[in-house]
Amino acid sequence: MRKNPRVLLFALAVLALTLALAACGGDDGLSGGETDEVPTATAEGEASGTLRISNWPFYIDNKTVPEFQKETGITVKYTEDVNDNNEFFGKVQPLLEKGESGGRDIMIVTDWMAKKMRTLGYLQNFDQEAVAPAKEKLVKSLQNPAFDPEREFSLPWQAGMTGLVVNTRLAPDVTSINDLFDPKYKGKVEMLTEMRDTVPLVMMADGIDPAEATKEDWLNTIEKIGDAAQSGQIRKFTGNDYTRDLANGDAVAVIGWSGDAVQLQADNPEIQFVMPDEGCMIWADNMVIPVGAPNPAAAYAWMNYVYEPENQAQIANYNYYFTPVEGTKEVLEKQGSDAAKSDLVFPSEEYTANCSTQDDPPGNEEDIAEVEQAFQDVLTGA
Amino acid sequence: MTSGRRLTAYALLAPGLIWLLLFFVVPLFYMGELSLRDGTLGNFYFDWNFANYTDSLSRFDEQFLRTFIYAVVATLIALVIAYPLAYAIAFRGGRWKNALLLAVVAPFFTTYLIRTIAWQTILGDNGFVVDALKTVALLGDDGRLLATPTAVIAGLTYNFLPFMILPIYASLERIDIRLIEAAKDLYSSAHQAFLRVTLPLSMPGVVAGTLLTFIPAAGDYVNAFYLGSASQAMIGNRIQGLYLVERDYPTAAALSFTMMLAILIAVFIYIRFAGSEALMGDETEEAT
Repeated sequence: MRKNPRVLLFALAVLALTLALAACGGDDGLSGGETDEVPTATAEGEASGTLRISNWPFYIDNKTVPEFQKETGITVKYTEDVNDNNEFFGKVQPLLEKGESGGRDIMIVTDWMAKKMRTLGYLQNFDQEAVAPAKEKLVKSLQNPAFDPEREFSLPWQAGMTGLVVNTRLAPDVTSINDLFDPKYKGKVEMLTEMRDTVPLVMMADGIDPAEATKEDWLNTIEKIGDAAQSGQIRKFTGNDYTRDLANGDAVAVIGWSGDAVQLQADNPEIQFVMPDEGCMIWADNMVIPVGAPNPAAAYAWMNYVYEPENQAQIANYNYYFTPVEGTKEVLEKQGSDAAKSDLVFPSEEYTANCSTQDDPPGNEEDIAEVEQAFQDVLTGA
Repeated sequence: MTSGRRLTAYALLAPGLIWLLLFFVVPLFYMGELSLRDGTLGNFYFDWNFANYTDSLSRFDEQFLRTFIYAVVATLIALVIAYPLAYAIAFRGGRWKNALLLAVVAPFFTTYLIRTIAWQTILGDNGFVVDALKTVALLGDDGRLLATPTAVIAGLTYNFLPFMILPIYASLERIDIRLIEAAKDLYSSAHQAFLRVTLPLSMPGVVAGTLLTFIPAAGDYVNAFYLGSASQAMIGNRIQGLYLVERDYPTAAALSFTMMLAILIAVFIYIRFAGSEALMGDETEEAT
């Protein structure tokens, strides 16, 4: 092609225009974010209109939403778009940074993520008066978590345990996290990509109490996990998708979540949740109201509704996680449901005696970032 | 050329240029600016922070190397499979030509993600592929395919194979059959005729095909995610992790740029080596 100076000039002009446009773009939502005062999501008037909820998959039965709509006249847009705390955060962060929620009134995130969002100023305080009926029925053990001692901005949806999910026919003797490092099961064990589940469990198996672990403990444990991944002992790191590998026999023992085991049992009775000898991790997923939520009044109506023991029983009976609502067991007993007898839904104190609650690694934000980075290196084989 | 005609030319160019501007140049600029920021989430500030680039190179060298090896191997395998296939369709396809081409394109009617996940079942430890390989002792008793480099490369090859077949087919199909007949009239063997007539004439397709396979394969993260494990993670997986898990947006942006640059350099060297005429088909076109 013959070089044409006019074309070149035109191209340069286009480029200059672009840069000028981009420069005018102004605030792109990555630099601001300082909020001193936390707003309160006030409930104004009767709850009505549309309520948008973002929740995890397999977390609700199919009757609760229609029944709520019928009783209150509120239209519910219930979306299962939370698959992973980090992934969900990546999706909504740019919106929240601008003070928008993408229309969401309630989001359900795990303890540490609720804490993180709160720190960044992405969550609103609850209107205590409006949410009082629900809060009255919250079980004692979940009333004062470290990240929100007064439950000012969060209310548990369900809680659960992280422990071993095992195919008891193919791996009958797996009872400890240490058994996952047994060469007998090389290439047949999996761990979670969720750092706050996987690392403390392995730590506990080494006799370290996660509540007292130092940053070095975290890094050493991560290194141990990394070595096992390099050697091929650990097949892979997964999210919820370990259920697929367990179901078709690609994995025989994994670190997994209590409720999943029950749902897998429906197809394969040999798959069971095993409480590790060392104990388990306990976590809760919480309902929170993001900044910019358009309809807080409806959000409180929903919270109060699902905290009615009758309504909660229906949800617990489906997902088999811990229920946070006092009085649910009695309802389930009356209905003769197996869930009432399950240690997974209503764990006795001795069953969870050695369990820890999930939390961040120690230190300031930079320390946490360093640990996160070390774990990411393990996940990508560096 | 009158000025009126020149204006028409620009007017015709405008839609393409605006598209390029909005969806390529502007995002690229934003990403470039992001890649030079410093700080932590909630407070990333612009600071000409070139350390993001040097860091991304030194921290992720292992994944870089892995990514290029996987992409090159997958491209070569795809070439070995695609050439004979395209040749057969172009010269021996007869009335089945269109049906065969449709068969090549048909997998695109199912989404890429679903097809990759399907491979999890095909290559599963209890699947027939692993069973068969164990029977012929190509795989040890406790061997596996999933979560190994083999599975990732197989996935890459499979997913991008049509991008290799179609350009090669297109250039083979265009070849004037009389040229090959002429070679034979001049007493060349079938072998010589292929090497000295058919192959050179099909080079534009080969170059286009290898580029269309290599570039997306190098940027892919889906295959490594579903068919591989931690030890098979590629640069794409790492970028995803940086954006969504570590939320270190500047490093992620810098890594994306480094990757883009690395691919550009590789492609540039390749084209210099293969000759840009081969890609454009200019010289061969004139030679005919």
